Amino acid sequence: MSGLVLKDVSKNFASKKAVDRISLTIDHPSVYGLLGTNGAGKSTTIRMILGIITKDSGSITWNDQPVDRKNVNFGYLPEERGVYPKVKIIDQLLYFAALKGMEKSAALESIYDWAKQLKVEEYLEMPAEKLSKGNQQKIQFMTAVIHNPDLIVLDEPFSGLDPVNTDILKNLIVKLVRDGKFIIMSAHQMSTIEEFCNDILILNRGKTVLQGNLKEIKSTYPASRVIIGTTADIKKYLKDFTIENQTDSQYIIKIKSEASAHKLLDTLVKDNIIIDKFEIMKPTLNDIFIEKVGA
Amino acid sequence: MKSNNFRDILTIIKFTMRDILSRKSFRVSTAIIVVLIILGFNIPNILSSFDESEFKDTILISDQQEVFEGQLDLINQADLDTEFQIEPLDLNTITERINNDDINAAIIVNKNADNNIQLTYLTKNLATVSNFPNRILDALSAIYTDVKIEHLNLTPDQVASISPNFELALEQTESQVVGGNIFAMMILSCVLFFAIYFCAYQVSSSITIEKTSKIIETLVTSTSPRNIVLGKTIGIGLVGLLQITLFAIVAIISAYSFLDSELIDMLFNLSSLTPYLAIMTILYFILGYFAYALLYALTGSTVSKPEDIQSANMPVAIVTMIGFYLAYFTLTNPTGELNLIAAILPISSPFCMPLRIMMGIANGWEVALSILILIAFCAIVAHIAIKIYSNAILNYGTKASLKEIIKNYRQHS
Repeated sequence: MSGLVLKDVSKNFASKKAVDRISLTIDHPSVYGLLGTNGAGKSTTIRMILGIITKDSGSITWNDQPVDRKNVNFGYLPEERGVYPKVKIIDQLLYFAALKGMEKSAALESIYDWAKQLKVEEYLEMPAEKLSKGNQQKIQFMTAVIHNPDLIVLDEPFSGLDPVNTDILKNLIVKLVRDGKFIIMSAHQMSTIEEFCNDILILNRGKTVLQGNLKEIKSTYPASRVIIGTTADIKKYLKDFTIENQTDSQYIIKIKSEASAHKLLDTLVKDNIIIDKFEIMKPTLNDIFIEKVGA
Repeated sequence: MKSNNFRDILTIIKFTMRDILSRKSFRVSTAIIVVLIILGFNIPNILSSFDESEFKDTILISDQQEVFEGQLDLINQADLDTEFQIEPLDLNTITERINNDDINAAIIVNKNADNNIQLTYLTKNLATVSNFPNRILDALSAIYTDVKIEHLNLTPDQVASISPNFELALEQTESQVVGGNIFAMMILSCVLFFAIYFCAYQVSSSITIEKTSKIIETLVTSTSPRNIVLGKTIGIGLVGLLQITLFAIVAIISAYSFLDSELIDMLFNLSSLTPYLAIMTILYFILGYFAYALLYALTGSTVSKPEDIQSANMPVAIVTMIGFYLAYFTLTNPTGELNLIAAILPISSPFCMPLRIMMGIANGWEVALSILILIAFCAIVAHIAIKIYSNAILNYGTKASLKEIIKNYRQHS
């Protein structure tokens, strides 16, 4: 099978089971979301995929070959951000490009291209210590992609970025997938995962608690909320529901079934209440995550 | 874009060298050492620029009874680095002149009732004087003897016959002849020690800094830990070799520019500097550096904070000291068994064997055995260091204990 396949991969640290029989498959260019609380085993899984730490059991293959530095062209943005503080950005990017086997001219072309897209051209001749943390992070992202890798692993790529830079990075990740890249991404922000990922895996204490296509997962969950847009006072109609949030123009209520929501809408229409919006909502990934790993 | 070990090691060497050479701290410390070397070779010139008479002691000799029959002036012809004033003054005047710091001391000559000559050395206090100065006593004895011989009206032949006519010689019971210049050997031993110690130490801090800056994780996904350890070790070693070459060139140019040729011969004895010795010294520097640098790579990978480096490096620093002192102290008996052991043991051979070669007492088999053992030692240390480094690099936080280090080694075996 082409792509990345993890089969029953486990890792123990002393007596602690850090990762327990994880399996996953990425068989087409896409972003695969790895979710979990702190210490759930996300970084350990990523480090095993990249061969930084050895797995205790199971198999990890890329295009049916065992994954190692020699037969997979991968890029990695680690959770622990790091740059050489005293070295000029261009020099450290050229260094990593050379270690990835790039010729200097090709490396320079790629560096300037990515620097333009990430809007960091002006920092290339500066030592890393003079850059803000956000810009240092963008430089590290460049280190992960300048050599045109097939598999890209991004550990918390958006943490510490401001909204403008988050947007820049999001667009580039979408472009990478369009260019046929396989991406594994771990993140704490559920909205980011929902935006990008086709498939997800939720880890809790090293064990898989939920896995599969995100749309299919969400479709198996019943609707749980209704958003009602109105300026009228409709509290008397909501006695059988829990009001989660209320503003001058909107109510968010929890429902037990979709039928109860339809019945409520009928009543409001019958009583001539002016309604701007009535949306029955599926649970968010955040809701599913909290349900699976506990608040 | 397949990984290529040789290419990666070369890339790491170049990056490491460029990084060190571009550091301000490296450039400043190198410049300071160059200035110190130039100043060091100028010390004889600086000292000679002062008026020597300003530093000479002045001693007054009072011989009121004319025991030396007016011949005491001859003492100023002896090379005693002292100015003698011959004046028949009384005790009070002499005391006053000493207390006024007009003179440093005085010698009062008297003949007592037994016809013995009494010499009294008078100084402000006796804190720094425990005996009558021997060199002055010898000079006074010689003058007195000459005065008395003159009274005997001896012929020149008779005078010659009672004068000692020694012919001096130095011989040894051992058949092995020890050559070379002890001063040059001590300098070489110290230079080798400091060069190896400081270069090797940098490997440790370089690795820890990569852990501190968290760059290590990106690095180990770009190339293998083996390439990182070897590339760094070679890169730092080459910078060290360049630095030492620069210091050596500055030292040689300074010596020929500022010292007179007699002093140069005395210090360096260049006749013992053969191409064989030069090649062997460089070889021992490289192998010795590798042995210690790899040990430091091992300790550097067990810590992630710069403040922990020193304590982690302590065991290796102790081994380095033992190696150096074993070589240094056994030099006093270079033909002894202990010096031979020091020349064969890998922790001390880099500091010892080049000196045995310089002295001309190292057999071919000794050198071959010593180099083989040192290479084997480097290979074993490299094997262990790379394995521990591979597992320890992601240990952030506290310093790894010995138990954890051994566990890391076993995990990777």
